Amino acid sequence: MSTAYVYDGTLEGMLSCVFETYASKEDPLDIVEESSFAPRLGQREKIVATDRNRARRVEEGLIRVCGREAYEAVGIVHCSDDPAKGRAILEFVRYAMKRGKGAWRDVAHKKVAAFAQMERAVRNEKHRWLQFLRFEQVEGGVYIARCNPEANVVALLMDWFSARFNTQDFVIYDEVRHIAGVSRGGSWIMVEAPVFDAAPATEEERVVAKAWKRFYDEVSIEARTNHGLRANFMPKRFWKNMTEMKQAPLREGSFEAGPAKGDDFEAGAVRVGEAALISGSPCSSARHRPKSCG
Amino acid sequence: MDTVEKLGILADAAKYDVACTSSGVDRAAVGGRLGNSVAAGICHSFSADGRCIALLKVLFTNACVYDCAYCVNRRENDVPRVAFRPRELADLTIEFYRRNYIEGLFLSSGVLGCADRTMELIIETLRILREEYGFRGYIHAKAIPGASPELIDRLGRLADRMSVNVELPSKESLALLCPEKSKDSVIDPMRRIKEGIAEDRETRAALRKKTCYLADRRPRRSARSFVPAGQSTQMIVGATPETDRRILTLSSSLYRSLGLKRVFFSAYLPVNEDGRLPRLHAAQLEREHRLYQADWLMRFYGFDVDEIIDESAPFLDAELDPKASWALRHLDMFPVEVNTARYETLLRVPGIGVRGARSIVAARRTTRLGEAELRKLGIAFTRARFFITCKGAYQGKGVEYTPEALRGELRRHVGTGASGRKKVVPGQLSLWGE
Repeated sequence: MSTAYVYDGTLEGMLSCVFETYASKEDPLDIVEESSFAPRLGQREKIVATDRNRARRVEEGLIRVCGREAYEAVGIVHCSDDPAKGRAILEFVRYAMKRGKGAWRDVAHKKVAAFAQMERAVRNEKHRWLQFLRFEQVEGGVYIARCNPEANVVALLMDWFSARFNTQDFVIYDEVRHIAGVSRGGSWIMVEAPVFDAAPATEEERVVAKAWKRFYDEVSIEARTNHGLRANFMPKRFWKNMTEMKQAPLREGSFEAGPAKGDDFEAGAVRVGEAALISGSPCSSARHRPKSCG
Repeated sequence: MDTVEKLGILADAAKYDVACTSSGVDRAAVGGRLGNSVAAGICHSFSADGRCIALLKVLFTNACVYDCAYCVNRRENDVPRVAFRPRELADLTIEFYRRNYIEGLFLSSGVLGCADRTMELIIETLRILREEYGFRGYIHAKAIPGASPELIDRLGRLADRMSVNVELPSKESLALLCPEKSKDSVIDPMRRIKEGIAEDRETRAALRKKTCYLADRRPRRSARSFVPAGQSTQMIVGATPETDRRILTLSSSLYRSLGLKRVFFSAYLPVNEDGRLPRLHAAQLEREHRLYQADWLMRFYGFDVDEIIDESAPFLDAELDPKASWALRHLDMFPVEVNTARYETLLRVPGIGVRGARSIVAARRTTRLGEAELRKLGIAFTRARFFITCKGAYQGKGVEYTPEALRGELRRHVGTGASGRKKVVPGQLSLWGE
C-alpha cells in the first residue's frame, strides 16, 4: 500500500516531510500540499506537521554534505507548480546525501533528471518575468505590476527588482496565487492579497505608455515581419499584462479574488497608492525565501 | 512637436541598426541609485519581426549631412527631420527604465553639422543620465565616424558599449555607396576604442598592484571604466557583391585585431531608389541567418574561417547550417563516442551545442550516456545520432554513411512541420517561370 505525505505547502513543511521519511524509514509515493491533495486508490494518507527544527536540520545537513547550491536548488524546485515536485525533491535529497557535493550537477542521473528539469523550468519562468514584467505608475507614486506566472516566482523576483528599483516603491501582484511582493526603499515583504485594489494610473503613466507603444510599433521592420518568431520568444500568455501588447486602455479599479488561506501571511487587501502602503515588517533581502519572509 | 511624435520618427529611423544587446557588463545595484546590469543581458520585448528589444534604440537626430545610398536618413531623402533635446531623451529613458520596458539606451545619430558637434550632444545626454540621474543601466553609444579622439574618450567613459558601423564589407563598396566615408574614418575610432580599453585595463591593474607590505586601500573608483562591455560593429549584407567568405574573413579579422565583441549582419532592405543599389525583391534573410550561424561557430565553437568556407565555394550552403556541412565534408572524423570524446570534439557534432557539450561532460562523470540520457540533457538527438556512438553502438543506423544520404536526413527536418519556419520564396511569383 502506498503512502502519501500531506503538508502545508511551505518549504519548511516540505523539509519536515523529508525528515519524516528518514525518521520513520518510509518511502512515500507522493508528497503533496494539502490544498491539492487527491489520494490514489487505497492510498494511506499521513499528515506531516511543519516543524521548524526538523526543517532546519534537513537544511543544515544538505548544505554540509552537498553544498549550498543543492539547498538552493531545493528551494527553487519547491516553487514549481508540478504536483510531482515533492517526490522529486525527496529523491534528489536522498541521492545527494549519498553522493555529496556536486549532486545537483548529475542532471542525467535518473534520481536527479526530473528534479533538474523542474529547476530549469522555474528558473526559466523567473527569467521570463524579469523580461516581460511591466510596471505602471498609479496615483500616489507607487508602481504596480501584475503577473500570471506558471510557478511561484514572485518571491524570487523580489530580490532583483527591489535592488534594481530601490528608488521607487512597487508591488508585484501574482494574479494566479493572489499574493503580492511589496517593496519599499529597497527592502521587501510578501503578503497575501485576495483583493488587489489599485489606484488609477497617473496622467504621466498614460503619456509614457503611449510613447512606449509608439516606439514598439515603429521599431519593427515591416519587410521582416515574423509573428511566429515573436511568439516563440515572447509567448502569448505574457501579452495580457504587457503595456505594448495590451489592446484595451490602461486598467483601473479593483481585482476580486477568492478568500485568504494560510495565516502565515498578513492576510487582507493590498491597497496601493495610499500613504501607508502596507502593514507588516520589512525584511532584509534574504536569498531565496520561497514563501513568507515576515 | 511633442515627445511621442519625435520618438516615433527617431525610432523609425533607427530601426535598421541591428545591435540591440544589453550584454557584457555586470553592475550590481546600489542603494539610492536607479538600475543595475547583468552580463548575460535581458531582452524586454520582441517586435513584430521577432527581433529583440532590450534597449531604447533611437537616433538623437535623423538630420544628416551624409548621403549614403542605402540609408533612410540620407541627405537627399524627403523625410521630416527632428532632434531630441538631451534632457528630454534622458527623461524618457528613465521613465521607460522604471517601468521595466528596457535595459537602457542605445543612442545613435545622424550627423548634425559635423561629427564633433553630434558627439557632444550624445555625450551631454549620457552625462545627464549617468551623473545627474545616477543611472546604472546599460548604455550603448555609437561613435560617429570622423569624431575627434578626445570626444571618443569622453563618450567611452559614459557608455558601456560603443560601436562604429563598418557598413560595407570592402573599401570599394564603401567608396561607391558612401562617398563621404572612408575605411580609415571607420577603423580609426574603432582602434581608438580598442586602445582606450587596453589602457584602462592596464591602469586598473597597476592600481591594484601592491607596492609595500602595509595594508592597502582598494583604489577608489573615481573614474568609470572605459567601454566595459567592449565594442561591436555592423555590416550590410547583399547591397554589394561581396561573397560570404569575404564577409566572414573580415569579421574574423575584426575579432582578432580589434577585439570586437560582436559583428552584426543586416540583410539589405531596399529603402531608397538608387542606380548604385541592387534591385532585390526581398531581403536575403536566409543568407543573414547562415552568416550568424557561421559567426557563432567562430566565436564559441573554435572554428576557423577556412574550415567553415573555402575558396572553391565562397558562399555558405543555403540548405544546411555551416556546422552540418562541415561535418559532411569531414565524415572521416566521425562517429565520436559521447562517453569519451573531448569537449572540443563534442562541440563539432551537429546537434550538440555549447550547453549540450558542457552538460555531457558534466553528466558522464556519474552516468554512462545512452540515447535516453542524451535526450534528457536536451541534445538534438535526431541530428546528432548520425555522428555519435553511445557505449560503442552507432546511433545512426538505417541511413547510409555517405555525405549525400546524410545530407538528405539533416535537411529533412528544416523548414517543415510546425517548428520549422515556412519556406518563403523570395520575391514576387513569376507567371512565366525563370
